[in-house]
Parts: sequence; C-alpha cells; structure tokens
Amino acid sequence: MLGVTWIRGVIARRTGRLVATATGVAIAVALLASIGTFLAGSKATMTRRAVQNVPVDWQVEAQPGADPAAFLQTVATNTKVALPVDFAKTTGLQATTSGSTQTTGPGVIVGLPANYRTTFPGMIRDLAGARSGVLIAQQTAANLHVAPGDTITVGRAGASAFDVRVTGVVDLPKADSFFQKVGAPVGAQPQAPPDNVLFLPAAQWHERFDTLAASRPDQLTYQVHARITHALPGDPAAAYTQVTGGARNLEVKLAGTGLVGDNLGSTLGAARGDALYAQVLFLFLGLPGAVLAGLLTAAVAASGADRRRREQALLRTRGATTTTLVRLALLEAALVGGIGAIVGLATAAMVGATAFTTASFGATTATAVVWAGGAAIGGLVIAAWAIAVPAWRDARFLTVAGARRVVGRGRAPRWFRFGLDLALLAGSGLVFWLSSRNGYHLVLAPEGTPSISVSYWALFGPALLWVGAGLLAWRIAYLLLGARRFLALGVARPFSGLLANIVGATMSRQRRLLAGALALVALTTAFAASTAVFNTTYKAQAEVDARLSNGANVTVTQAPGGTAGPAAGTKIAAIPGVTAVEPVQHRYAYVGADLQDLFGVRTATIADATKLQDAYFQGGTARTLMHRLGQQSDAILVSAETVKDFQLRPGDTLRLRLQDAHTKQLKEVPFHYIGIATEFPTAPRDSFMLANATYVARATGSNAVGAFLVDTGSASPTAVAARIRAQVGTAATVTDITSSRRVIGSSLTAVDLSGLTRVELGFAVALAAAATGLVLALGFAERRRTFAIAIALGAKPRQLGGFVWSEAAFVTVGGLVAGAFIGWALAAMLVKVLTGVFDPPPAALAVPWIYLATVAGVAIAAVTMATITTIRRAQRAPVSVLRDL
Amino acid sequence: MSYEPLVRCDGVARTYGTGANAVVALHGATCEIWAGDHTAITGPSGSGKSTLLHLIAGLETPTAGAITWPALGARAALRPGPVALVLQGPSLLPPLDVTENVALPLVLGGVDGDDANERALRALERFDLTDLARKLPEELSGGQAQRVAIARALAQEPRLLLADEPTGQLDHATGAAVVDVLLAAAIELGAALVVSTHDPDVAARFDHVWLATDGRITVLLSPDAPSEGQPCSA
Ligand SMILES: Nc1ncnc2c1ncn2[C@@H]1O[C@H](COP(=O)(O)OP(=O)(O)OP(=O)(O)O)[C@@H](O)[C@H]1O
Ligand SMILES: [Mg+2]
Repeated sequence: MLGVTWIRGVIARRTGRLVATATGVAIAVALLASIGTFLAGSKATMTRRAVQNVPVDWQVEAQPGADPAAFLQTVATNTKVALPVDFAKTTGLQATTSGSTQTTGPGVIVGLPANYRTTFPGMIRDLAGARSGVLIAQQTAANLHVAPGDTITVGRAGASAFDVRVTGVVDLPKADSFFQKVGAPVGAQPQAPPDNVLFLPAAQWHERFDTLAASRPDQLTYQVHARITHALPGDPAAAYTQVTGGARNLEVKLAGTGLVGDNLGSTLGAARGDALYAQVLFLFLGLPGAVLAGLLTAAVAASGADRRRREQALLRTRGATTTTLVRLALLEAALVGGIGAIVGLATAAMVGATAFTTASFGATTATAVVWAGGAAIGGLVIAAWAIAVPAWRDARFLTVAGARRVVGRGRAPRWFRFGLDLALLAGSGLVFWLSSRNGYHLVLAPEGTPSISVSYWALFGPALLWVGAGLLAWRIAYLLLGARRFLALGVARPFSGLLANIVGATMSRQRRLLAGALALVALTTAFAASTAVFNTTYKAQAEVDARLSNGANVTVTQAPGGTAGPAAGTKIAAIPGVTAVEPVQHRYAYVGADLQDLFGVRTATIADATKLQDAYFQGGTARTLMHRLGQQSDAILVSAETVKDFQLRPGDTLRLRLQDAHTKQLKEVPFHYIGIATEFPTAPRDSFMLANATYVARATGSNAVGAFLVDTGSASPTAVAARIRAQVGTAATVTDITSSRRVIGSSLTAVDLSGLTRVELGFAVALAAAATGLVLALGFAERRRTFAIAIALGAKPRQLGGFVWSEAAFVTVGGLVAGAFIGWALAAMLVKVLTGVFDPPPAALAVPWIYLATVAGVAIAAVTMATITTIRRAQRAPVSVLRDL
Repeated sequence: MSYEPLVRCDGVARTYGTGANAVVALHGATCEIWAGDHTAITGPSGSGKSTLLHLIAGLETPTAGAITWPALGARAALRPGPVALVLQGPSLLPPLDVTENVALPLVLGGVDGDDANERALRALERFDLTDLARKLPEELSGGQAQRVAIARALAQEPRLLLADEPTGQLDHATGAAVVDVLLAAAIELGAALVVSTHDPDVAARFDHVWLATDGRITVLLSPDAPSEGQPCSA
C-alpha cells in the first residue's frame, strides 16, 4: 500500500524533521496538560486551606421554641462532632481596680462545654492567665482594666447582677463568624462582633442564665457548633456545592427549628472564586506557550516544505491525485500528532508528579479526562494544521512547475494589506479599556449564591495584544527587509563587507521567511518575558501581603496591658540573626464614639525593620508621608473613612480620647490631621490611625510598646523567631512571615505558583532556544543547496558566514528587542487585568533580570550554534548536496 | 603561453562510500590540460564525467593519485579566480536576480560592486540575455537558467572554463549557439575549455575528445595523437 510505504519512507528518510515536529506537538500537549495538573493541584490546595482556616464548620442556631436536647441530637447525628454553645446578653460589665471603677456597655456572655477548646482549637486564643474557667476577651479586659484574678460584675436584664473572678484573657481571631447573625439575608451588612465578651464554663453559665429561659428568652441564644466530614472534592466549587447542600439538608431535617451558619460553605464560596482566578491565570500564562509550540511545529514543518513540494510533484507525475496526496499528508500528521500527544501526556504526568506532586490532570476524574483529552486533541489539531493543511494547499494550488518556487516577488500577505495587526492592537486596547471601567473584575462570585462566573472576554485584551504585536513585529521586519540600503549598510556590512549588497538582496528576497522567523522569536521572547515578569511581580506582591499582615519578618507582639518600653528591644536586638528592631506602640483611641487602633511609630527608623509600600498611603509616597509625620510632633495619619466621616482637611485638629496610663481615665489629646494611611504593618484592615510614638507616650504617660518589628536580614525568619520565642517566653507572641504566608488563605496570593512557574519558565527557555536555534538551523538546512552553489562558485567560509550571520543577527536581535517590548507591555497589561489577584496592587513591575538574561543568552547561544554548524556543514561535502536534487 | 599545463592529473581516482557500498566513480585517470585546449568528455550516464570535472575544478579531492594546477596555483586559489565551473543541475542562487547571480563570483573574488555589475551585464549581452537581467531564477526556463549559468562562468574571464552538460537543457539549435559562444570566448580569452556532453554533435566540435566508461577515461580524439582508444596518458 502506498500509505505504508510512504510512512516508512518518512520515518527512514526524514527522521530529524519527524522528531522535531513531534517534539513541538509534545511540548504543546505537555503544556496544556500541565495546566490541568497545576489547576488540579492548586484547587485541591485551596479547598484544603479553606477547610483548615475554618475553626467551626457549622454554627447551627436553634429557633425560639426548639427543644435543646432534641436539637443537639439531630445535629449530632448529621455531623461528625457537635457541641452546644449558649449565648446570653449582658446589660453591662463593671470592675473596680486600683481604686477606680470601669463600666462597659452591653455585651455577650458565652457558655462553653469543657471540651470546646480542644475540639475547635482555632476559635479562641489564649493571651494571659489560665486556659479554662472564666475567660475575658482582650478588648473587654482593656476596657475594664482587669487582669486574671480580678473580679467583675455581670449585669443581667430581668435578674440581678452577679460576680465572677476572671481566670484568663483570650482573643477571638474569628469573632466575626463566632458572633455572626445566623440566617441573615445574603448581602446583609456584616454585623460587628460585640464589644464585650466573657466566656463561662457551661455549668456556671446555666446556673446564672437558665432562670432567664422562661422570663426573658429574647436574652438567650442556643447554638450547636459542628464539624462535618472533610472528605470533600478537590475543586472548591464542587466542595462548596456539597457543603452548602449538606447545610440545606440539615435545615430540612431540623424542620424549621434551626438555621445553619455555614462558615465552611462561605469560605469555600470565596475559595471557588480564587480557584476560578487561578484557572484564568493559568490559561493566561499557559495558552500562549501552547500556541507558540504550535507555531514552532508549523515553522519546522514549513522548513521542509520545499522538499515536500518536490516530492508531491514527483508523485503527481506518477499519477497521484490530490486526494491521495492529502491522504498521505493526513497520515503523516496523524503519526506526528499521535507520537506528540503520547509523549506530551507522559511528560505532563511526570512534570506533574515532580513539580506539583500530583500526576492527575484534573481535580475530578471527569475534568482529568477532559484536560488530557483536550490536550491530546490540541496536539492532533496542531499536527494537522502544521503538516496536512500546507500539503493540501500545495496539492490543490501548485502546478508542478510552481513547486520550485521558494522566494518569489510574492505580495505581502492579505492580513498585512488589510492592517490586521493594527486592528488587533486597537481591539486589545478597546477590551482593556472596557475591562478597566468595571475595575478589572474578572471573576464574579457573589457571596452566598451558587453561580459563579468568569469574564473570560477580558482575556482578549492581552491575547489580542500578543497576537497583534507579534504581527506588528512581522510588519516592521517586513518593511525593514524591503529597505535594501538599510539591510546592506545596517545589517550585512559588519558581517560581509564587499558582499553586503548581495547579502542585503538575498535577505530582502526572503522577506516573508525572515519576517516570520523574527516574529516567532519576538512572540517567544514576549511569552518568556511576560510570564517571568508577571510571576516575579506576583511573588513580590505575595511577600508584601505576608509582610503587611505579619508586620515584619518577625513580629513580637506584647501581651495586652504589658508595660515594656522600647528598651526591651535591645535584648531582642542582641539575638543572633536580628538586624533591626523597631518598637511600635499600640493603643485604642476614641474618635468620637468610634474605637480605633492607634499606632505610635518612630518615623525615622521604622523603615529599617519593615518595608513600607507606597500603596499603603494616599496623597504621597511612604517616604514623604513618614517624613511629614516626623516633622510635626502631633501629626496623625487616619483612614479615608475617618476623613470622610469627620470631614477632615489637612491641618485640622482631631481630638482623640486616650487612656492615661496612671489615672486609667480617658483624656482628650489633640492631634493634627496631615494625611491618609490605608494599610500598615500589623494594623487591621479597617480603620486605624498612625502618630508619632514620642507624642503618644507623652500624652498617655506611658511608652509601652505593642509590638516589636524585627528584621532578620538574610537569616531565616523561622529560625530567628524560634530564638526570640525562647528568650521572651510567654510574655509576648512571636510570629514570623513564613508561617503567616501559609495562613493567608483567602487571597489568591496564597496559591503557590512556584511549581507552575518553574515548569513554565523551563518551557519558555526551551521554546526560546527552539524558536531561534532550531528554526534558523532548519531554515538554513533547507537552503543548503544554495550554500553549496556559493561554495562551488568560490565563496570562502568567511563569505558564507556573511550570509548566514547577517540573517541570524537580524532575526535574533530584532526578535529579542521586539519581544522585550511586547513582553513588557503584556506583563503590564496582565498585572492590570489580573488586579483582583493582587492585594495590595503592586506599585511597579518586578523584573527578573537574571532569568531574562538567561533567556536571551540561551537564544543567542542556540543561534550561534545553529549558525556555526550551518557554515561548517555547508563546507563539508558541497558536491553531494549539489547532486541531491 | 606558459610551459606548464593548467592541470595535471596523476592516477587520480575517486571512490564514494566504503566497504560493500563503495562506488568507484573514477579509476586512476592521468591527463593534462593545457592552455588553449578545447576538450569534450563524453560517455554514458554515471560514467564519471561530472566527477572528473569536479576534481579538476578543485571542488573535490581525489581518494587516490594527485592532481595539481601547475600554471594556476594552489587549490584554494582556483575559485573564484582562474577556474570557472558550470554545474550540471540548476545552479543559480534563488534569492538573487540574474545580474546579481552573474556578478556574485566577481564580488566573491573582491571586485567592487559596480564593476562587477557592469561585467555581468556585458556577459549577459553576449548570450542575448539582457532582457532577463532583473528576473529571478524561478522566473526562468531551464534553458535560460543554463545560459545564465554559463554567462556567469564567462563573466569571470577564467583561464580554465569547465562546463558540465552545458547544452543538456537546450534544444539543438540553441545548444549549438551556446557551444559557439563558449568556443569563441575560450579563444578570445586564451582559456582552456572542458565540457562534458552526451551529444555527439557537440563533441564533434572539439579537438580533444575523451571518453568516460565506468570511471575509466580514454582519449578518443587528440590533435597530437589521433589514434583511437588510447588510455588518457598522453
Ligand atoms: N556523492 C556520491 N555518493 C555516491 N556515489 C556517487 C556520488 N557522486 C557520484 N557517485 C557515483 O559515481 C558515479 C559517477 O557519477 P558522475 O556524476 O560522475 O557520472 P556522470 O558521468 O556525470 O553521469 P551523468 O551523465 O548522468 O551526469 C555514478 O555511479 C554515481 O552514482
Ligand atoms: Mg554528470
């Protein structure tokens, strides 16, 4: 059969090209499948993180009239662990310490079963005193000036007040969810947790509040806190569906007597948005690579076109029809595509196992099949497009005589004449502008609703930019190649001296070929550059995010009520690995009726211990605002909301009420408003204020430090933190940036891109080498007859080099320069379009110079090798090349 | 005229491949070519005509025997220079137009661009190819391309002109005209001319005729020794 003979011939005689095209297909398939693997891995991580970050999965609240015992029973049979929790309102708390009496407003008294803390360890954190007994929330303790051992009086509506002795001070990291209003309508304003909180052992609570059950049921709330199974699907969206479905199911079983506060569900709801972001991110970063691999395959296949045309012409003279020719080409494409797909999938599985520790291509079996199948089909399509389509075109439209044509005066391609590149760039700008108007909201995941959507069309901005800019590079190269004088004097002269005009003419007649090669190099470089710049920026931003929440590399937070002054920092500074220590005061201050955090800083030295981003401030850079703050002792930076609420204008006096350290009374302290701070290390994400430490110390009569920010230079933050912990003991909490990076779960920055980054950047380097070296080498190989003729005419190696080096230099230098521009523009646009990924948004792109230099170096090395090999081989046996028609 | 031959072959042999696949394209040929000699090499296909021409042109090296160019210089100085070779197949550089193709060996030899161009145009005129001056090789017929290749060789004003099947692609009349031009140019330049050909009519116009059979070269006709069938060692 002709087909079998043909394939055998292809395998035997064109092994090199077969391997090259199959490799191109394999790279594309491997990239696509790797994206699937990565997504599977990162989605599973997101689900796991979400689960880890939720201390109590469900808070099931009993409705009035429910029977507590039956209620608990129903919840317990439908969950893995269930514990009852009682809430009672208090009219106010009172305490008398050091001769003065403090009174608070209303609060909440919570009754906890003995094993609650061990069952749900993440909900309550110890700050001082005992772990059990009567525990008081930190801010309440501050309001009442009480410490473990002090007695407080608890007021009850409809009953007399009673006294309890405080045994410990605690903190509620998840106060919002603990005190949530269960069953609040979707989109309702989140309720602020109560200002005053006291935990009692369950027995003590019942002793004090059971009497109210009949008289004042409105004062009491009964909840069951539950943990459900954590055997969830890897995909957050699927896990979300399962968990929320379970919650609805439980509510049905409770028959209207209870509502589920679905903490796990809402965390997964946020995570599924992040998962979609991850998906978008990787389509963004990975698809261009697959497209490039396809283009490369086509370029490799095209470099054999001349020979194929001659073969086709030969087969035609022996009577082969167009159908036969196309069938043979399809057979070849199937062979290349099949081999490429198999090798690509195997590579992806291997890469997945090593880089992402998962060899599965999807979060579920179905998605795995879709990803693997899709990637394989992609490979076959590439093979068909690169091999069969050109063969079909030639078979249909080329005459036997035309099969000889290689250069020609052919007109510019149609897209060129119609300005497709400019249209694509304009389209890209338009899409970008439109998506900027809605604030680059790529992923819409409304809280509480099962539907979630991605605005994929925002992806068209960068996609069109990439393609349009690639074509524009083609156009510019094509126009430059039309300018013979430029070629002769600007490009060829250094390599070819007297031959410059002839070399210029040669290049000019191969405009399409060379412009195509240059555009391919530009696109590859742009891919590598934009991916690398984006990834570096992303990593830098994750670092900023982690530092912002931790404060510095290591942060030593003093226990509330501590009185240690800045002098305590000298002990920390002496610990090995510590390069700088900076005390930050932490006070609470009333702005009108609003209680806010107030931080006192030393403006001159704060930046030694932590990095202040310009994005933390409004109306100036971090430097200028710190400088301005330091200039005026009573200056203060406040949040934008405070400015709006109090109609502040720069220079206005702002009177705060601060507690005096000696009298424990609130006293009014005047400040001058000078600017806005939106974020600050260790500060909460909502409103806070920033002032000079010396002024705050003078005004309050205490220089007590809230936290020490510690820079560790090049030492490991974890190791230094351990050393500090050993020294300070329980007097302070020591946290380090590495652990805090792991804790930030809600933001996508927590997704570790490093696995995919490594794979992608590796692929990018391989593609850059292939696009430059391989494509040039194959192009030169195609013209080995031309070189042989030149040698027969007497061209010396140096003269031959003139031809080869001029082309190589034009394509490589032009491609790298164009690619650098496109890559930069692309990275800038990507960072903008993917703004949602960043929190806070980056101030500038982070450029990985070493990686980019590596890419350029690899490309140049590949070109140099291809060129030298070409020149060497051309000289080896010119005659046999001339005989081989 | 010098008293040394342009080319001296001394038992020159050329073998391709090794072992069982070895093909002996040329068995020890011994011959000389003097200035002014007009030689035709005839013989069946695959008999070693092209191989001998390539060796004489210095494009290939013999696997046995020695070849020297006493009156022309070292092998490396032959092309571009005193030797010009017209190849058997298509031999124009596709990306260069006709004039540039003809000028190329001159430029390779260090002739200034404008000068080379002028000389190229003169050579084209000689073959009536002025109309084709700005055409690309792919726009030429096989015969036109062949004539351009010959024009390119002549433009170099060589002392030894080698042409492998120069009339292979031409009709009889054009072929005869091309041979006229070749012979006239050789006489004008005082150059030696060696052509290979299948065409007995072409061979008949040369004063030296060598026959190649299975890699062995014999002299069929020589003005000095008109005896037939003698080995080429005169
Ligand atoms: N590079 C090579 N490798 C192997 N064999 C070769 C090579 N070049 C030539 N030959 C063989 O050497 C022999 C002589 O070839 P050559 O081209 O010199 O013949 P020719 O007389 O010019 O033939 P034609 O009239 O067809 O041009 C042939 O058998 C050919 O197959
Ligand atoms: Mg021959």
